[in-house]
Amino acid sequence: MARAATTSDVFNAIAEPQRREILVLLRAGERPVTDVARELGIAQPRASKHLRVLREVGLVRDRKAGKQRLYCLDARGLRPVHEWTGGFERFWNEAFDRLDAYVQDLKQARQEE
Amino acid sequence: MSGTERGAPVQAASADREIVISRVIDAPRELVFEAFTEVRHLSRWWGPEGFTTTTQSFEFRVGGDWDFVMHGPDGTDYTEWITWTEIAPPERIALLHGESPSDPNAFESVLTFEPDGAATRIEMRTVFPTKELRDEAVEKYHAIEGGQQTLNNLAAYLTEMVRKEAEG
Repeated sequence: MARAATTSDVFNAIAEPQRREILVLLRAGERPVTDVARELGIAQPRASKHLRVLREVGLVRDRKAGKQRLYCLDARGLRPVHEWTGGFERFWNEAFDRLDAYVQDLKQARQEE
Repeated sequence: MSGTERGAPVQAASADREIVISRVIDAPRELVFEAFTEVRHLSRWWGPEGFTTTTQSFEFRVGGDWDFVMHGPDGTDYTEWITWTEIAPPERIALLHGESPSDPNAFESVLTFEPDGAATRIEMRTVFPTKELRDEAVEKYHAIEGGQQTLNNLAAYLTEMVRKEAEG
């Protein structure tokens, strides 16, 4: 799978431990940024920045509720990770590892002939 | 999901039903291509580490097919069937992949081989008829690999998360 720009790359988004913590927190239900900041023990601007990154890669959605903005998990955004950790893509990446090793052997055998 | 304020990544129309895998191999294109053309080559590398194949029939030509059984490292057998729809040495191979010639869920992969200096870039683009079939294939291959893979805690967690919350 081709890597996208930093702000649209889900792998980059979840590489940050606090952002993973936010995903775990939002799993339980939607929360305003103040809750997220308090639960993680971080400043609110930092929580907002994390939420913005997560929203940009499609892992988090937000909606307005009165004066508040509530954030919730959109786990569909994790599908590229799910696929990378197993499944079709991994199957073929491992097959191509073996192909590479085999072609190197083949190349050497042809050179020796 | 969509909205004007969300900076959604721009994707091709078929992006949600295709999987693209690419790899650079340090060998001439003819040699890399050759590894796809004979069963004595294919049987040496097809599938992840620990997988082996037993071939019933193999005829590498457009319209020909490859009937084989893939043996997983945990002892599970998978009946596989491939037919080639295009062969253009040493540039391109298109094939249909399923469990049998009558598999309604067979899907097409197009392999392209491009020179990259002295090396070769392989790209395998698989387009599934529908997003649902793509997701099904992903799950099927997850199951195939399940016996041999131990995912780390993060990966296992994310996988569970996707299953529980993305589907259904």
